[in-house]
Amino acid sequence: MNPFAYSRATDADQAVANISTKPQTKFLGGGTNLIDLMKMGVETPNELIDINRLPLAQIEELPGGGVRIGALTRNSDVAEHSLIKSRYPVLSEALLAGASPQLRNMATVGGNLMQRTRCYYFYDTAFPQCNKRNPGSGCGAIEGFNRIHAILGQSEQCIATNPSDMCVALAALDAVVRVRGARGEREIKFEDFHRLPGATPNVDTNLQPDELITAVDLPAIPFATRSHYLKVRDRASYAFALVSVAAIVDLATDGTIKTARVALGGVAHKPWRAQKAEQSLAGKKADEQTFRAAAEAELAAAKAYKHNSFKIEMAKRAIVRALTTVSKMGAAS
Amino acid sequence: MSAAVMGPVKNRVDGRLKVTGGAKYSVEFEVPKCAHGWTVESNIAKGKILSIDTKAAEAVPGVLAVVTHLNAPKPKQPASTKERTHSHGIQNEERVPFSDDEIHYAGQYVALVVGQTIEQARYAASLVRVSYAPENPLLTMEDAEHKAKKPKENFGDDVQIKKGDVDLALKDSSLIKVEQTYTTPTETHNPIEMSGTIAMWEADDKLTLYDATQFVKGVQSVLARAWNLPQENVRVICPFVGGAFGCKGAVWPHVLVAAIGAKAAGVPVKFHVTRRNMFVGTGHRTPTSQTISLAAERDGKLKAIQHVTHTLTSTVGQYIESCGARSTGLMYETPALRIEETVYPVNISTPTFMRAPGECPGTYALECALDELSYALKMDPVALRIVNHADNHPTKNVPFSAKHLKEAYELGAQKFGWSKRNAEPRSMRDGDLLVGWGMATATYPAHKMNAAAKVQLRADGSATVQCATHDLGTGAYTAFTQISSEQLGVPFEKVTFELGKSDFPFGPVAGGSNSTGTVGTAIHEVAQLLHKALADLAVKDSASPLFNLKSDDIAMVAPGRIGSKIDNKKSDAYIDILKRAGRDSIEVESQLKDPEENKKFAFQSWGAHFCEVKIDPLLPRVQVTRVVSVMNCGRIVTPKPARSQIMGGVVMGIGMALTEETAYDFKTGMPATRNLADYHVAVNADVPEIDVSFVGEPDFAFNPIGARGIGEIGITGIAAAVANAVYHATGKRVRDLPITIDKLI
Repeated sequence: MNPFAYSRATDADQAVANISTKPQTKFLGGGTNLIDLMKMGVETPNELIDINRLPLAQIEELPGGGVRIGALTRNSDVAEHSLIKSRYPVLSEALLAGASPQLRNMATVGGNLMQRTRCYYFYDTAFPQCNKRNPGSGCGAIEGFNRIHAILGQSEQCIATNPSDMCVALAALDAVVRVRGARGEREIKFEDFHRLPGATPNVDTNLQPDELITAVDLPAIPFATRSHYLKVRDRASYAFALVSVAAIVDLATDGTIKTARVALGGVAHKPWRAQKAEQSLAGKKADEQTFRAAAEAELAAAKAYKHNSFKIEMAKRAIVRALTTVSKMGAAS
Repeated sequence: MSAAVMGPVKNRVDGRLKVTGGAKYSVEFEVPKCAHGWTVESNIAKGKILSIDTKAAEAVPGVLAVVTHLNAPKPKQPASTKERTHSHGIQNEERVPFSDDEIHYAGQYVALVVGQTIEQARYAASLVRVSYAPENPLLTMEDAEHKAKKPKENFGDDVQIKKGDVDLALKDSSLIKVEQTYTTPTETHNPIEMSGTIAMWEADDKLTLYDATQFVKGVQSVLARAWNLPQENVRVICPFVGGAFGCKGAVWPHVLVAAIGAKAAGVPVKFHVTRRNMFVGTGHRTPTSQTISLAAERDGKLKAIQHVTHTLTSTVGQYIESCGARSTGLMYETPALRIEETVYPVNISTPTFMRAPGECPGTYALECALDELSYALKMDPVALRIVNHADNHPTKNVPFSAKHLKEAYELGAQKFGWSKRNAEPRSMRDGDLLVGWGMATATYPAHKMNAAAKVQLRADGSATVQCATHDLGTGAYTAFTQISSEQLGVPFEKVTFELGKSDFPFGPVAGGSNSTGTVGTAIHEVAQLLHKALADLAVKDSASPLFNLKSDDIAMVAPGRIGSKIDNKKSDAYIDILKRAGRDSIEVESQLKDPEENKKFAFQSWGAHFCEVKIDPLLPRVQVTRVVSVMNCGRIVTPKPARSQIMGGVVMGIGMALTEETAYDFKTGMPATRNLADYHVAVNADVPEIDVSFVGEPDFAFNPIGARGIGEIGITGIAAAVANAVYHATGKRVRDLPITIDKLI
């Protein structure tokens, strides 16, 4: 671990002002990923600004039925909150599918958005190749051990995946990330928050280095009560997703799908909103054939490597299962 | 629990210390002025170090020394394997760290930074720059084909076995045959306590080590030899071990690294191996490829068994994972048997013993093949095993002692409800889930080593017993307290058993499930000596009822009393003998001698696992939902930890069957999955209730305690039971472990 300075912010504006003058500085939330990466020598900040005392840990109702989640709210508090459980069960399920109770008690919502990939070649600095960690060094995974890697949206530079469960639910929910920077506040649509790797896999998100995430807004989605998060992993608990699906379905009384929202985890550099599947589902009868067709449509563009070709069929099956589960749920209350 | 159990059920004597944090593990000892070591490791698998730039590291405040092959104090290379035996310590990796510029595997320690704090050392280590001249490494069996060897023996046991005409039976068209290849990946032990050493030079020729080890006397021996010191000048202390499973049995480079660092820096050095480096520097179970060929009559009677194994070893060690010899070589009656082992030296760190080394992957392959044979024969898999039951050892031709395997099958089948099994694959369901039932035989040899013990009996009726043995978290403290209480005739609560110090009388490596029997035998011997010493006092004491008797005619007659073997009215209490003699205490020590071999029997433990899995056909991750394990291990000394040992073996076996794999990057030769997030051991949610029972009587033909050991047998066979259940559930035979979800899609 490199030597680094530590300071504690008591005011969000001051935190932002502070970071904008100091390159190589990072905000410290729960620290469940950042500290680990610092110990591994992957992250080498000069300074950490501890933001845990900022008043950003509330969950509040927004006019119109949405919910605002403060960036410092702990994952476990979000998962167990009555507004989240009743209106956005998919988010609660996604959070509870992630990590362990101990980690969820520490990890913050803002930190979860910034979680970095678990690609072996990124995580261990002994591997000489990683374009994300060391731009221009090449990708160790493409010809290496790539069982957990991406099948959608990857580039020749990087095939890493985003490891978050929470973000898959947020993608399906069309969440909005509220950030504050030296130039004031702005909102980032969730689909614009994380990036595909392209030629710059070293940049995970569109958050600027001097910006602070203050909250995540969930829009009012009455039919999100009929939603589900399905996580497929190697063991029954405490493992990152091989593939995951967040599914929200608005069903008409005759059983046709009015609207469906589907997002995938474990398959891409960002939480993957399955728009092709959604288009395929709209207006169709909610049955297995429809679901399978939607899954086929979404995965048509998938590309696999030596060890992860199973993910294509797995993702299709997971989509079918998640949509089946959701469509069998009781109607929106 | 129907097996003979010693005394009343006791809780762990160290339980309170463990749960209150009072149990001190090796790197937790506080040593004045202790500095911290952090290593730099090679990230090439083969080649030479061209240069090492340590200037930036040396300039970091708090750095006391940077050690490389250019400046390291050099211990001696160990003696060749032939000159050593187990009692001299074990070095699976034979090369001394920092001895030269050669790189033999990725992850090899190439520099050590000693800093006043661990943060300083770690940071400085990140500044060390090493340049290499890489060479093409050998990383796979195919790469190392031309260097393959067929070793004759492994620690004294033959590993190439031949009996009868296997080829003739395998060619006989009237027989039913199965021939399949099964593979297991590299697996890593992952005890919760990482290895670590505090090395302290008390003088130029006096070294004290706090070391997390399964063998304090072995560490003492290896370090004394390395630094050319008398044994007694090296002291090794290890009162508690937080799990080991074999990875702390040998002396690995980090122990020497700590001693080298302490010598170079002139202060004590603590070197705690990181979880990451536990995947390289302290051994692993080598990957195996095993081809099993079986030929049987239509009634199931085996006519031939062939078990051909290919495994890796390193280029700086000679470790052999002998898969066939100690399981297939003796499990079933057969007129023809062939066991072959081939070993390929590669540029990957040295493998080592991991819980049931050899027997664990060996039983996986054989027991899966038998399941396949049961389907080929349309015969129940339990019935197939009973038909081929071996009353006698197939190559030694002597009967097995106290073998109750048939009872284990019977009790296990009954508890599991095996008779309700429909053998047809995919025939059993629970709602939408596929249900599979599988079974397998477990087996592990009864190993016997040598040990000595010392006892002090005090006039207040309490006793302390010492042996340089170990408690790996297994419950050994409790077992030895229980054995001491029984053998000495002193109440359990009044016995203190001390272990984990090289100052104590010799204890062997806590490996091969030998400790309970071996140390128990030493306790038995020292108890006899104590009784004799008390008798010697009593016969000279005119106030004793035993006055003037021959001390040879005296023995323990009841707890706390010795008496005449001839006249049962004459006896005397230990306490009274000591008091009248004006003694506060009496002390005796047994002598180390080679264990007595009973050649009339073969000694082996047995068991049966029955397992249920449930699998979602769409997303087929295997969930184990029930396990029934019945074990036949001779006498059970301490029922609670004994049950835990079997459960622990089953849990580890579930991990082996379903999730565990140390995957490598074959460009660099480095493990890719080298932390507990990526290397998946079974978590609680993967483990169902495990129903453990024991059958059989004490095996007094084996040792005076009647115990054959229980540490390893639990993991044997279980991966096959799971794999067989998966086949029964799905109709798909996965022969390459682990059976992850992708292999069933």
